[in-house]
Amino acid sequence: MTGVSYLAIAPELLLLVGAVLVLMVDVFVHPQPRIHGWITALTFASVAAAIGAQWHRIGIDGVGTSFGGTLFLHNLSVAARSILLVVAVLGVITAWEMLAGLGRRMAEGLSLVMVSTAGFMLMGASADLVMVFVALEIGSIALYVLAGIVRNSRAGDEAAMKYFLLGAFASAIFIYGGALAYAGTGTTNIVEAGTAMASYHTARPAVLLIGMALLVVGTGFKVTAAPFHSWAPDVYQGAPAGVVGFMAAAAKVGGFAALINILIIGFDRYQDAWADGLALLAAVSIVSGTLLAIQQSDLRRMLAYSGVAHAGFILTGITAGLAGSDGVLFYLATYSVMLVGAFAAVTVVSGPATSGSSFEEYRGLGKRSPLVAGVLAVLMIAMSGMPLTTGFFGKFQVFSSAWDGGYRWLVIVGLLSSVAAFYFYLRLVVLMYFRPADGRPDHPAPSGQMRLVLLFSAAATVVFGVFPSPLLGWLTQAGG
Amino acid sequence: MTGFATLSALVIVPAVSAVIVLMIPERRRELVRPLGVVLSLLPVPLALLLFMDFDRGEAGFQFVERVVWIDRLGVAWHLGVDGISLLLVVLTTVLVPVALGASMRIDRRVRLFVAMNLLLEAGLIGVFLSLDLFLFFVFFEVILIPMTFIIGIWGSDNRIYAAIKFFLYTAFGSALMLAGIIALAFIHRDQTGELGFSYVAMLDLDLGSDVQRWLFGAFALAFAIKVPIFPLHTWLPDAHVEAPTAGSVLLAGVLLKLGTYGLLRFNLPLFPEATLDFVPLLATLAVIGIIYGAAVAIVQPDLKKLVAYSSVSHLGFIVLGTFALTSQGLQGGVVQMINHGLTTGALFLLVGIIYERRHTKIIADFGGLASSMPVFAGMFLFIAFASIGLPGLNGFVGEFLILMGSYPTLPYYTVVAAAGVILAAVYLLWAYERVFTGPLTDPANRRLPDLTMGEVLLFVPLVALIVLLGVYPKVALDVIGPSTDAVLSRVESATTYVAPEPGGSGTALFGGGE
Repeated sequence: MTGVSYLAIAPELLLLVGAVLVLMVDVFVHPQPRIHGWITALTFASVAAAIGAQWHRIGIDGVGTSFGGTLFLHNLSVAARSILLVVAVLGVITAWEMLAGLGRRMAEGLSLVMVSTAGFMLMGASADLVMVFVALEIGSIALYVLAGIVRNSRAGDEAAMKYFLLGAFASAIFIYGGALAYAGTGTTNIVEAGTAMASYHTARPAVLLIGMALLVVGTGFKVTAAPFHSWAPDVYQGAPAGVVGFMAAAAKVGGFAALINILIIGFDRYQDAWADGLALLAAVSIVSGTLLAIQQSDLRRMLAYSGVAHAGFILTGITAGLAGSDGVLFYLATYSVMLVGAFAAVTVVSGPATSGSSFEEYRGLGKRSPLVAGVLAVLMIAMSGMPLTTGFFGKFQVFSSAWDGGYRWLVIVGLLSSVAAFYFYLRLVVLMYFRPADGRPDHPAPSGQMRLVLLFSAAATVVFGVFPSPLLGWLTQAGG
Repeated sequence: MTGFATLSALVIVPAVSAVIVLMIPERRRELVRPLGVVLSLLPVPLALLLFMDFDRGEAGFQFVERVVWIDRLGVAWHLGVDGISLLLVVLTTVLVPVALGASMRIDRRVRLFVAMNLLLEAGLIGVFLSLDLFLFFVFFEVILIPMTFIIGIWGSDNRIYAAIKFFLYTAFGSALMLAGIIALAFIHRDQTGELGFSYVAMLDLDLGSDVQRWLFGAFALAFAIKVPIFPLHTWLPDAHVEAPTAGSVLLAGVLLKLGTYGLLRFNLPLFPEATLDFVPLLATLAVIGIIYGAAVAIVQPDLKKLVAYSSVSHLGFIVLGTFALTSQGLQGGVVQMINHGLTTGALFLLVGIIYERRHTKIIADFGGLASSMPVFAGMFLFIAFASIGLPGLNGFVGEFLILMGSYPTLPYYTVVAAAGVILAAVYLLWAYERVFTGPLTDPANRRLPDLTMGEVLLFVPLVALIVLLGVYPKVALDVIGPSTDAVLSRVESATTYVAPEPGGSGTALFGGGE
């Protein structure tokens, strides 16, 4: 299967069609938000069908590449697409109120979400470094705009600007890494590079290794691995609440999928070299993310720093190479849902288009808004890695693979940091349940759709935490 | 063997009860408490059924249930009960209704309170019954949440600090134990070809002595924090003092036993060689705990703190008995776990009752209470005697077995530990003297109402068990003996160690003998 298979990019194509449709309908008809909702829903439904068809195809024909070897159609890419689809659906529902508040520019917002989703889906499927770069830019640029889409928000402007500048910087590093990898192997194709490295002695391994390192750094920015995370707290805090969950989760899924493709398929031969580097990166991310999260007084910044630590945990799973990829996928899927759910709660508490979400706003929330507080408590407990949630099982798997891969020190570092992390996750639970509301007003009940997002994220977190086997099966059913 | 899945029911019934309580609508809130107590009584007949059907003389696990849970990791819902866990399960099912019955004064968020207690019960029973290390860890960790909530929401002034301290301390211990469990699972894979967490299968693994030492350390740290073994005990006074009465009763009555239970269940049988290496350390810390806990208890001005520190002392005895590695020491350890649950649970209940009436726990605020509250004073004295180890009551049996069992192998330690028995008499009787005897000096104490019928009812099961175990300990020893002896013979068969015959002169493990 090396020719042109439109099925291999069907989800992305459908998303682009949907994005264009929303924009065009808006130009010609100026419809009610409801109509946009229907178009979006249809788009996502067709994407889901396409992803289902891809799973089916892999099951019959096995994995392969297409479009001249530039696109994978493999287990990882389809699993990443599935996760991204869920993230996008939940993200759009969460962002709906904010988007509807934009008036005529609602269509812009919606199409940006779709384009960005398409970009990150493509990123996970790219089998060529140039393609990875293009996909990364498609996804990221849409996110930069989304961060600043609320026009009269200074914090939003600042977030968009920072995100853009640092993101562009990261892209430059990535493309430079790609160039060096090309210099080392003579190809930008990930599969061919892998074969090249395996088949003959590489003339300039140093160049190749530096290129590899720069590729890791470039994606490290996208997935907020420390020390490349500095943009995340400001962006998560400044961007409109409605889109942050999507923004954070989508970039992580796309980034990690690409990283796995590059390292495990492309640089397989140098696993000894990159696994050590990745383990170091993981340890730095886990420790610094945890320590910095402890000091935050704003939930969004706390989630940003805890996201740094979670990136470290995911990297921990990748150090084990192919053996760890099941656990990594599980972690990515479940953490993304938690992240979107947590930001949905932030949206309800702080308002859909706001910046910032101080801990004080959550005081006594257990009394004032039991549903939101309950969901947020479940998500925090899950993020902290308590058993009977997906958070525990995800951690358990990445730690197991790392232990098996010989990175025992990393497992110990990770486990001890998890204990420290309990402190800040617990702090929010304490604020919501153990502290009196002090006369703070009750929150307006979340809207029907919002309730759906909240309940879905909490339910998925608990159900798949208690019974992880089905999810694990779905994510890895086609094997390889 | 019954066809009915009794063990699963023991875990699931309280968990489902918790959900039921949470679903009681707001307008029927008066139903919460009575329904909660009734639901919490449901596991009692199940536990008694288990106790009746239990095959005495059989050392292995009984009523075993196994359902695959996570296939690719070899994790199973694997439950079983033996002589070590059976009585702890019975104790848990008895103490939870008592704790709930003692919480009638709780008026904030009653639903959540009852549900948390029931969830705690499910988790505790799950810990005792798990035969799968993954499952064990899940229960071991999950119980932190209800306990933290109980301390943090319904505790006294400094509750949030105490709740977080409790949580972080114990979570720290279990983090390293998780590393140990992962390591064991991979050793299991290397030796049998597949990942697995089954406790029974782990017993057959061939572990080198270095590996054993590391793993022993990882497990022991988690359990030592739970016990708590000196010097890891600093979370305990805070947690106990701040917790509401129900929290203190369950914390002292059952939660602390998770530590000693874990040491006996996992450390000794899984890492026998390392156990021998660690005996000097753990016995030393146990004896320090016995003396230190008692000494600190003597000088406490606060009655609740006094009882809290007395736990450090009592749990030291259990650890000493366990690591003496003799038949009687091990048996005495298990018996004492039950005893401590009954007596300290009752003491916390008493402190809770006096605090509700007088809103102080400071010993100096009392004096002469015996004349205003005679029944209460009598009950306190009775429980104090049980705790001190008056012959005829349960405490005597446990401490006697421990001291007798420890002497052959750890003679010097035992001599020092025996002083702890005297110190226990000092702090409890002196406290009794200051609180209950003499003239009624403070007018605020004059009109305190005595125990009500309902409160007396709470003590009935505890007192009955205290007397039963004191007069006829065979009920317990018949159950415990075979299983603890199996642990001992496992240590013997895996090492060169030979346990002394009961009553005979054995070789000293450390610090004595030739």
